[in-house]
Amino acid sequence: MSTQKRRNFKIEAFKHRVELDPKYAEKTWKVLEHAIQEIYNHNASGLSFEELYRNAYNMVLHKYGEKLYSGLVTTMTWHLKEISKIIEAAQGGLFLEELNRKWGEHNKALQMIRDILMYMDRTFVPSNHKTPVHELGLNLWRDNIIHSSKIQTRLLYTLLELVHRERTGEVINRGLMRNIIKMLMDLGASVYQEDFEKPFLEVSANFYSVESQQFIECCDCGEYLKKAERRLNEEMERVSHYLDAKSESKITNVVEREMIANHMQRLVHMENSGLVNMLIDDKYEDLARMYSLFRRVPDGLSTIRDVMTSHLRDTGKQLVTDPERLKDPVDFVQRLLDEKDKHDKIIHLAFNNDKTFQNALNSSFEYFINLNPRSPEFISLFVDDKLRKGLKGVSEEDVEVVLDKVMMLFRYLQEKDVFEKYYKQHLAKRLLSGKTVSDDAERSLIVKLKTECGYQFTSKLEGMFTDMKTSQDTMQGFYASQSPETSADSPTLAVQVLTTGSWPTQPTTTCNLPAEILGVCEKFRTYYLGTHTGRRLSWQTNMGTADLKATFGKGQKHELNVSTYQMCILMLFNSSDRLNYREIEQATEIPASDLKRCLQSLACVKGKNVLRKEPMSKDIGEDDVFFFNDKFSSKFYKVKIGTVVAQKESEPEKQETRQRVEEDRKPQIEAAIVRIMKSRRVLDHNNIVAEVTKQLQSRFLPNPVVIKKRIESLIEREFLERDKVDRKLYRYLA
Amino acid sequence: MRRSSTRKTGPQNPAASANTPAADLYRSASSKAIIKELERIDQFFNSYADKSSGLIDPEGIEILCSDLGVDHTDVRILMLAWKMKAERQGYFTQEEWRRGLKALRADTISKLKKALSDLEKEVERPQNFLDFYSYAFRYCLTEEKQKSLDIESICVLLDLVLGAHYRLQIDSLTEFLKNQNDYKVINMDQWMNFLRFCQEINFPDLSNYDSDHAWPLILDNFVEWMRGKQD
Repeated sequence: MSTQKRRNFKIEAFKHRVELDPKYAEKTWKVLEHAIQEIYNHNASGLSFEELYRNAYNMVLHKYGEKLYSGLVTTMTWHLKEISKIIEAAQGGLFLEELNRKWGEHNKALQMIRDILMYMDRTFVPSNHKTPVHELGLNLWRDNIIHSSKIQTRLLYTLLELVHRERTGEVINRGLMRNIIKMLMDLGASVYQEDFEKPFLEVSANFYSVESQQFIECCDCGEYLKKAERRLNEEMERVSHYLDAKSESKITNVVEREMIANHMQRLVHMENSGLVNMLIDDKYEDLARMYSLFRRVPDGLSTIRDVMTSHLRDTGKQLVTDPERLKDPVDFVQRLLDEKDKHDKIIHLAFNNDKTFQNALNSSFEYFINLNPRSPEFISLFVDDKLRKGLKGVSEEDVEVVLDKVMMLFRYLQEKDVFEKYYKQHLAKRLLSGKTVSDDAERSLIVKLKTECGYQFTSKLEGMFTDMKTSQDTMQGFYASQSPETSADSPTLAVQVLTTGSWPTQPTTTCNLPAEILGVCEKFRTYYLGTHTGRRLSWQTNMGTADLKATFGKGQKHELNVSTYQMCILMLFNSSDRLNYREIEQATEIPASDLKRCLQSLACVKGKNVLRKEPMSKDIGEDDVFFFNDKFSSKFYKVKIGTVVAQKESEPEKQETRQRVEEDRKPQIEAAIVRIMKSRRVLDHNNIVAEVTKQLQSRFLPNPVVIKKRIESLIEREFLERDKVDRKLYRYLA
Repeated sequence: MRRSSTRKTGPQNPAASANTPAADLYRSASSKAIIKELERIDQFFNSYADKSSGLIDPEGIEILCSDLGVDHTDVRILMLAWKMKAERQGYFTQEEWRRGLKALRADTISKLKKALSDLEKEVERPQNFLDFYSYAFRYCLTEEKQKSLDIESICVLLDLVLGAHYRLQIDSLTEFLKNQNDYKVINMDQWMNFLRFCQEINFPDLSNYDSDHAWPLILDNFVEWMRGKQD
């Protein structure tokens, strides 16, 4: 093994010595250096690109790359230093132009140089980790020109001065500006930022801080916002004309901070012109401007929203608690609707339909509408007014619009059950007196209430409509069953049979009806009970109306439209011309308060005074004497004698309704508690209150104290017990 | 006086019969002693009972009280009623009497007198006290289906059963109850919560009272009234 020969085959490179002139490199470089000089001197036309490229190529090939590269650096640096001197020498305004021209030339030169040295750029530069020629040229420009001590500050100052002049209204050479800024950007993002952007932003901040201070001292809010908006637009325009696009957000931030954020509170609260005044005067443009400017800064919109909310709450509170407003419920509600429309419009036109603003508006309305416990009653009265007469001659769509608006107010109510109570009362009056203008509108509102609150809420209201329809049929049946001759001379009767429970009927004592009426009534009773066995009828004489034919002194005939009570009174005067209060009261047995109201409207209303009273006075006394007024005259054949009705509820009536509402709530609260406890078995006090409130809030807002009382009542009736150990808990007793 | 004189001759010394030394005789002797004791308890009962109704009626109870040397409104009489589980205020049935006095091992007036102080200690034990406290309320319900007591009675009863332990609380609470108009009567739930209130709530600073807990409203009102007074 050891004797074995090791053979090595070698392949040697073919050695051929390239004879090279020792001064080759020096000579070649001289040629190239000369060429660079000529390029900078604008004499490039006489140069042979091919020759120069070859020379450079050969130098790299013969490993003189380093010499070539360092030669380039030295010679370019030298040239740039010369250029720098020229630029420095430029006077005043020519400075930037000179800089710009030289920059252009340098770029051109750099282009040519790079083309000549292309081979070096491709081979030598990457393998030796050198800076490529173009970049090198920029770096050298940066170091020798831009960062030269005599140019750097002068350049910055000049640029900022120009911006300042432009801000103060002068026209500047934007093209030149753009070129210079472009140069800085070409030299690298850091050059642009350090040598221009940062100082620019600082100076801008100062400028706007001072300017905004001046503006706010002398301008009103709207004017200030206009100026701020203009400044903001100017800055954005500036960026698009000659700055880096990335600067836009930075400079707008500065303007926003200095002109808006720092003065936000002062602006919105500015006396006589702040946000509140804009809202009051419907300054849509100013408001829109404020919105679009404030949304740019942190907390801007919430500032507007807060001020708007507190303004709404204050004015709303004033509106609903003003005793003057309480006198006219229809006007009260109309004002609420106007207020809502006004602010809806503002939010729509100026606040971009911002959801958060809409919510603020809604919560404000909810807040103040419920400050007045009579709001539910008034809203129902408003509907009553509209459905009685207000909607005459109004198109179907407009009716819908009004009803939708009412529903919107209804949604704000916490005590929807109170509204239901009143609505029922008012609806009953409308239906029974035949005063409702449009059946469609009535039903449309019921449908709306049903969608809002569910079947339970409206079932009784719907029952009332059904009763009306059924009554019509019943009356037809009744008259069909009567022989014509018996009914020919007796009064025509129209009975509305009301289901107990559906209608807000109060147990009243039936007054004494005149004999003529009593007969027909009895016939009807017999007929009705004959077809419906097992029912009970009682006459609600406080709710009916009558048409009477009357002949007065000179033989003039009139038809009097009166209430049942009034009819009973007037019928007494068929047999007597003079009756005193006591006699009337005894004969009719009408409750005193109703009787007085009826007599008042029969004897004290001008133009409708079919009775005469002694002594003549506005009010009815218990010793008054009444006479048939044979001198009564009227232009109209039909005379409608209204009862002096308290349209709004009087204080005791209000109390009574309130009490009924409270009573109705008790079982609802208890049912809710039991439902909750049945499923939860054990629950703490706070959670019961919270859940009960949640379950019932679509109808009313239960009072926690009332809930507690109901819990105690349930404990007493052994539906619940208190936990023996944990003080917070209740247990359900199955 | 006639009744008490018969009672004085009635009692015999039970120790004499318990002295029998023989072991096999002991059981019958002790059961005999029990029977004897029961007889004496019955005799004791009869000395106060009304002959026609067979009950100790209010009049009988008054005589019993004076024999015991205590007022008939004394809390110890209420405790005695509790021990007997007496159902009707002012009356003891024979059964109730037997139940109570047997448990107290009292068949004479002097033994009963002594037993009363032991009874007081027995009631003091927490579990017994809760039972006694709720019994006190039920005992005062005299009418059929009556579920609550008027404020006047409640104040007396509070003073009687809690006065000794929670003087401060009871003074304030009764003052409050007499000066409010929201409640005319107190129900069992509220009554039970008065005790719980006294036991659990720092008084008079009320620092650990939280109206979000499951206290009845009347105590919320009381606390509010107290706090209003303290300010």
